[in-house]
Amino acid sequence: MTAIAYETYHLGLRTTRRFLRVPANVFSILFFPLIQLLVFSQLYEDIVQLPGFGGQTSYLAYLAPGQIAFTAFMAVAWSGFGLLVEIRGGYTDKLRVSPIHRWSILASEMVPLFFQAAAMAAIILVICVVLGTTIVTGIPGALLILVLAGLFGLALSGASFIPALLTKSEQATSTFSLLLFPLMFASTAFVPEELMPDWMQVVNQWNPISYVIEAIRALMVTGYDWNAIGAAFGSMALVGVILQAATLWAFNRVAR
Amino acid sequence: MTTQDDSAIIEVRDLVKVYGDETRAVDGISFGVAPGELFGFLGPNGAGKTTTIRILATLLQPTEGTARVAGFDVTTHPGEVRKRLGLAQQAPALDAFSTGRETLELAGILQRMPLAEVRRRADELLELMGLTSVGKKLTGTYSGGMKRRIDLASALMHSPPVLILDEPTEGLDPQSRTALWEELERINQAGTSMLLTTHYMEEADRLCSRLAIIDNGRIVVDGSPGDLKRSVGADTVILRLASTNGDLDSQRATVRRLLADMVAADAVSPHPEGVSLSVPNASEAVPAMLRRLDGERVPITGLQMSQPSLDSVFLKYTGRHIREEAADQPISMGWQ
Repeated sequence: MTAIAYETYHLGLRTTRRFLRVPANVFSILFFPLIQLLVFSQLYEDIVQLPGFGGQTSYLAYLAPGQIAFTAFMAVAWSGFGLLVEIRGGYTDKLRVSPIHRWSILASEMVPLFFQAAAMAAIILVICVVLGTTIVTGIPGALLILVLAGLFGLALSGASFIPALLTKSEQATSTFSLLLFPLMFASTAFVPEELMPDWMQVVNQWNPISYVIEAIRALMVTGYDWNAIGAAFGSMALVGVILQAATLWAFNRVAR
Repeated sequence: MTTQDDSAIIEVRDLVKVYGDETRAVDGISFGVAPGELFGFLGPNGAGKTTTIRILATLLQPTEGTARVAGFDVTTHPGEVRKRLGLAQQAPALDAFSTGRETLELAGILQRMPLAEVRRRADELLELMGLTSVGKKLTGTYSGGMKRRIDLASALMHSPPVLILDEPTEGLDPQSRTALWEELERINQAGTSMLLTTHYMEEADRLCSRLAIIDNGRIVVDGSPGDLKRSVGADTVILRLASTNGDLDSQRATVRRLLADMVAADAVSPHPEGVSLSVPNASEAVPAMLRRLDGERVPITGLQMSQPSLDSVFLKYTGRHIREEAADQPISMGWQ
């Protein structure tokens, strides 16, 4: 166990460098959340006057939690690519020839994603605050939001690793990530549940993204709503266990 | 044909690898590599060289047979094998976003070397490979030859007793190739046992003390390059003779007469500038011939010796030229 921790730490530093040394990575993660935050908040400025927004006066404040969660999603949406490229190029084989546990190879791809998703979400959170959004739970609440964002990214990353490991194709992997985008629109990121058509409300009930968004919203707007926060942790645990178990299976399949 | 003693650093017996349904990539290979030896696998692409190497490097499970590296079975004790093995794959396997130094240091850390030792050894290898000035640059910016060298250096970080190299000079320009050959010879002379694969005849000839020619998953013949070439036929010796008054023919006859007990009459043939002799093991026979001819004042102005090429060896044992197979092979991808 300590061996896996030691190996994951050192290999994780490498995957983190691999992420940070391409500035375009950060840009491509932040671009869409930022555009949605800045453009939609003005385009649909008056939408908050509709019933269901619970008396919120700024659409920007309503959008913020969804975009923080979306940022965490964007941070991991293509996380399988790095591993895929390295499997193809033989680098993963080189790691497998060193006397390390093979799970360390996978763990070193995943663990940094927690920090990556949390750090990217932090940038968007800070931008929201600069634009005038408030966080009623203050600094501790903000930190909890980042933990939620990090865990959300970690839980969801399997959705990129699984197609990468099973198909070994960049096209298939990126297409699969795109398929997850509609989940964002069928969540409470843009409008409250009451304003959704009936069928979408059903999707929303099963949409893990909405649980994360509502927990973040609670921490920003109402306070420590442990029901919402607990539901978010629960849904992430469920998604995380299912996706990462499948990832482990797919990884063992290729790495024996 | 194999060294099966316990002292062998690599010992392979009856190795078989069947892919999927019926592709027998390796079809019953046995061989041994003695400590300190530089052993070569010569064969066309698709002959089973890489599959054998991947089994030895613990990356692939054999279907049948056993393989031991540095005394440990690759199937039952892969961890012990990995501590004692350096592998350089066909294409340099590098993280483009790590620097050369980081690449080496990570390799040492994963081999559980103490940190101070990791730094010292990284310095040493960067210096040896002539990469000190680019140690802080990302490997993605390196030239082909530099990538090979840093990849090789990372396989050498933990000073493994066994180094396995798959097509080490594939895709290199002639200068880089020669430089890498010298490097490999130096590493071997420092005590590292090596197994390398190649489909370049000159590479096998220059580097390997012993080699096995592999074709269709089987070893067709093995031995030292010299022995293998002798098995194909005699060496050719060309003696250039001074022809002062157009008496080249009489000089040829003199040579034929003087060497009658050394070279059969039908092994001597005219050459535009003298005579051509067909001599088994020429490098040992030539000194005595020269002493005798010189003693009889035969005006020899030049000497040229050539061995049959390994290509003719390959042709004899497989019925094909190696080049026919080497070209235009699709590149295999992935782990299967």
